[in-house]
Amino acid sequence: MTEKTLKKVSYAALTAPSILIYAFIIIFPILFSLSLSFTEWTGFGTPKFVGLEQYVRMFTDSVFLHGLRNNLLVVGISVFGQIPLGFVLAYIIYRQLVKATGFFETMIFLPITIAAVVVAILWAQIFSPAGLYTALMRRIYDDPRYVLKIFENKTWAMLPVLFVILWMYTGMYMIIFIANMQKISPSVIEASIIDGASEGQILGRVILPSMVNIIFTTAVLAISGSLKSFDLIYAMTSGGPAHYTEVIAIYMYVNTFKYYNYGFGSAVSIVIVILSLGLILLVRSVFRRFEEKYE
Amino acid sequence: MSNYHELKQKNLVWKLIAYVVMIIFTVLTIGPLIWLLYSSFKPHIDIIHNIFAFPASFYTDNFVQAWKLGRLGIYMLNSIFYSVAATSITTFLALAAGYAFAKFKYRISGFFYFFFIMGLLITVHSVLVPLFVMETKLGIDDTRLGVLLPYVAFGLPMLIYLATAYIKGIPDSLEEAAVIDGAGYLTIFRTVIVPMAAPVTATMIIFSFLGNWNEFVFVLTLTSKTSLRSLPVGVNAFAAGQTMNYGVQFAALVIATAPMIIFYLLFHKQLAKGFAAGALKE
Amino acid sequence: MKKALFTMAVLLISAAFVFAGGKQGQGAEGPITLSMFEYENLTGPEAGNWEIMLGTFYASHPDIKLDIEYGFDEPYHNKLQAMAVAGQLPDIMFLWPLKRTGEVTGSGQIKDLTPWIEGHESEFVEGALAPQGSKPTDKIYELPEQMTSTHVMFTNNKLLKDLGLSIPKTFDDLLAQGDKIRGAGLIPIAMANKAGWQMQSCFLSTLTERAGGMEWFRNAVDGNNASFTDPEFINALSVIDTLAKNEMFSPGLNQTGYGQGVTDFSNEQAVYHIDGGWRVNAYVISLTPEQKEYVSLETFPDIPNQKGKSGSTAAVVGTGYGMNEKLEGARADAAWDWIWYYSGPVGSAIRQGFGAIPAYKLPAPANVDLMIKKLIEFWDGRPLGYVIDAVLDGEGMNVLHPALQEMILGDKTPQQVAEEYEAWVAANDSARK
Repeated sequence: MTEKTLKKVSYAALTAPSILIYAFIIIFPILFSLSLSFTEWTGFGTPKFVGLEQYVRMFTDSVFLHGLRNNLLVVGISVFGQIPLGFVLAYIIYRQLVKATGFFETMIFLPITIAAVVVAILWAQIFSPAGLYTALMRRIYDDPRYVLKIFENKTWAMLPVLFVILWMYTGMYMIIFIANMQKISPSVIEASIIDGASEGQILGRVILPSMVNIIFTTAVLAISGSLKSFDLIYAMTSGGPAHYTEVIAIYMYVNTFKYYNYGFGSAVSIVIVILSLGLILLVRSVFRRFEEKYE
Repeated sequence: MSNYHELKQKNLVWKLIAYVVMIIFTVLTIGPLIWLLYSSFKPHIDIIHNIFAFPASFYTDNFVQAWKLGRLGIYMLNSIFYSVAATSITTFLALAAGYAFAKFKYRISGFFYFFFIMGLLITVHSVLVPLFVMETKLGIDDTRLGVLLPYVAFGLPMLIYLATAYIKGIPDSLEEAAVIDGAGYLTIFRTVIVPMAAPVTATMIIFSFLGNWNEFVFVLTLTSKTSLRSLPVGVNAFAAGQTMNYGVQFAALVIATAPMIIFYLLFHKQLAKGFAAGALKE
Repeated sequence: MKKALFTMAVLLISAAFVFAGGKQGQGAEGPITLSMFEYENLTGPEAGNWEIMLGTFYASHPDIKLDIEYGFDEPYHNKLQAMAVAGQLPDIMFLWPLKRTGEVTGSGQIKDLTPWIEGHESEFVEGALAPQGSKPTDKIYELPEQMTSTHVMFTNNKLLKDLGLSIPKTFDDLLAQGDKIRGAGLIPIAMANKAGWQMQSCFLSTLTERAGGMEWFRNAVDGNNASFTDPEFINALSVIDTLAKNEMFSPGLNQTGYGQGVTDFSNEQAVYHIDGGWRVNAYVISLTPEQKEYVSLETFPDIPNQKGKSGSTAAVVGTGYGMNEKLEGARADAAWDWIWYYSGPVGSAIRQGFGAIPAYKLPAPANVDLMIKKLIEFWDGRPLGYVIDAVLDGEGMNVLHPALQEMILGDKTPQQVAEEYEAWVAANDSARK
């Protein structure tokens, strides 16, 4: 065997298993999904070709549109809630504005290690009419019939869910930011303090600019993560009541696995994929502009 | 300098705000968890009567019940199996692929690498339906293999990303030295790359383990047999609304959560480093 | 480190294949082995009852061995569907009459049990052996284990007496009680509707019969000169709407998890509790003997413009076991042994002790819990009505349940709910086709 052939074979041996498994589990099913999305199928018999009917059905379903809106809310809270909050916390720890940073850091990161399902059940319990929060509010308001009414409001029902999402994931962004802040050479900070810079100026002139790239990365992570969010919301409210907290991932799951509309479910999946890609490309272009500003 | 006092004052204000923020956050974070923990030691009746109270005594029956009824023993074993198996396989494959992409200067590597990175954007649900149908037709649905394959496939993008980035940083000189000693590629992999990649391997393992342990959707959809299911799914059964015993439900949650929390408290330094390493290369 | 990684990987990959979970095994010679898919909540209180049923069967049938797989709730139905699609159904499985497992029973893979039942028809309660399946056919796919009432209004008579009230005869009487009950810090009617089906199954179904009577109900289902936009259905919906507007339900009813109603009632926080007859099992455990004395099983009082029967409840033929079409000869007989054991005289007697009302006619048992006695009395001579999700498609529930919740939350009127549901049924429901 020649040197060249040996190299090729080795390369193949190193990469083939990964590529095969990946193609089998991800690429092929997505293509399969795409083709199924143009059919109507309950699993029995052969799929019936129906063209774009499933897509039309989806976009004219008010439940789907409401779900889409909820997804955008989740993306919103992730990008504009978790990231700034994580940043603030990271900043506090990095600049050692408090003592016992190790302790705080560890504690705030803790929720991520818990399975989304467990978090969901815990908080569902806390917010439920028989739960911790309700009991607390009943004491405070002296009203035995108090319940967290927000769940019953179509517009605001997502609020508690968004809160729990925030609770769970902010720590992760905090850690990422801390690690990247530690890359900044300390002498720069010292220099600016000596020059009489205030805390706000240190933040704006020194720290932020060097973080632009990483903020972009986290935004991408946040978006892909929030469009995926199924576990948490499903276990917490199952999308209820009355679809108020439903997101499109749950919508897809219910239509596929409860009502056996495989064609329809596939169409929704494809839309989720396109949505993720679209949003990320959007964020990319927004950040390109920011980069130019800071260069 | 007259500025100094001003600065100190301003800093004090910032510091105060900082403390307040941190404390609120920490309380919000740990509060519910502590409540969960001590509530799990109360029988259901006590929980209903006074939801805030500390337990009167160490009522461990909840845990016994949760363990038995919830089949948490089997679920725990399955969780361990899935996590360990998927983590090892994915880590191993990712290291191999990372070596290939980082060190073998083939143009096609760029394509494959991008191919894998795209996987970071793919949500589980996009493949759930066809995967379910495919596995059913192939007869691997409701099998351990049927769960392991998706775990590995979805774990590969992130781990390959980490591995490739790190291995790129391993000096070529080390490889060249091995080549001079007559080593083939696979030997180089074994004797040079893998040992040198120990730090990122640790990170990969922790990252992967965490993700796999907490995974829910695949097990829920692709398995039905109790004997194959994992903790998150088992715990969800307690939320199914058929349970009226909060004490047992809480105990189940504690059992499901404790391993990871302990794991985290032991290894959190590594985990933090991992996120840093992964996030650094942008 | 590297060696460990290698060996571990190799070991685990091979283990993965070894442990890849098995599929149904084949029966050996000697004892006949049958595969069974069982619907059971292994974390629930009834799990112990299941062990007893199994044990007694094994004791009397040493020649039959059951290879059991368990499932519950949605995963059970998903798996059953998947098995049906793949043509890999087990030998025995737990089935629903009518719609719930309609696709499976309608797929031709389930054996018609009529030949075995022949001669035993009169031993069952009337209506128990009605034809089943997703289309009206003459077949019986599962032998019902019981008759289930989905509407019972559990009443705490002691609380009523303390408040100076008595069991209301009409809807208006009930409404008038609201102020006093709330004034005492209690919940008038406890219900838990987070999942959405409780309101339809345990309440609306009965109200529909009350509002329109069975003949109208049948016609509305079939679309035979009647529909769900008729004033009858709107009347039924309005009852719920009025109750909600007058704060007669548990606060936060649509966020309340399913067991909470029982808890509230057991703690005497609620005067009434509307739930299905099956809840009696929970009350056997959670009520004290004194409480059992003063808790009674009623139904909802008469509603205005009532065309149906006073005191009626909604009932549905129960679930039961069916067998795979592929079974023949001795294996089919063995499967029948189990089915007959469970739903016939022997199993029914055991299950009576657990609080079931078997479809098989048996005298009322002597030594059962007071609550179970009350349930048996409850059934005696009581007029029955349809349960909506038993006679209409499940997918329609995805429209009806949220609409009901929205009505209770004040976002929809009864008229709108009726129109929305009727629109879906007219366009999609198999009952109308």
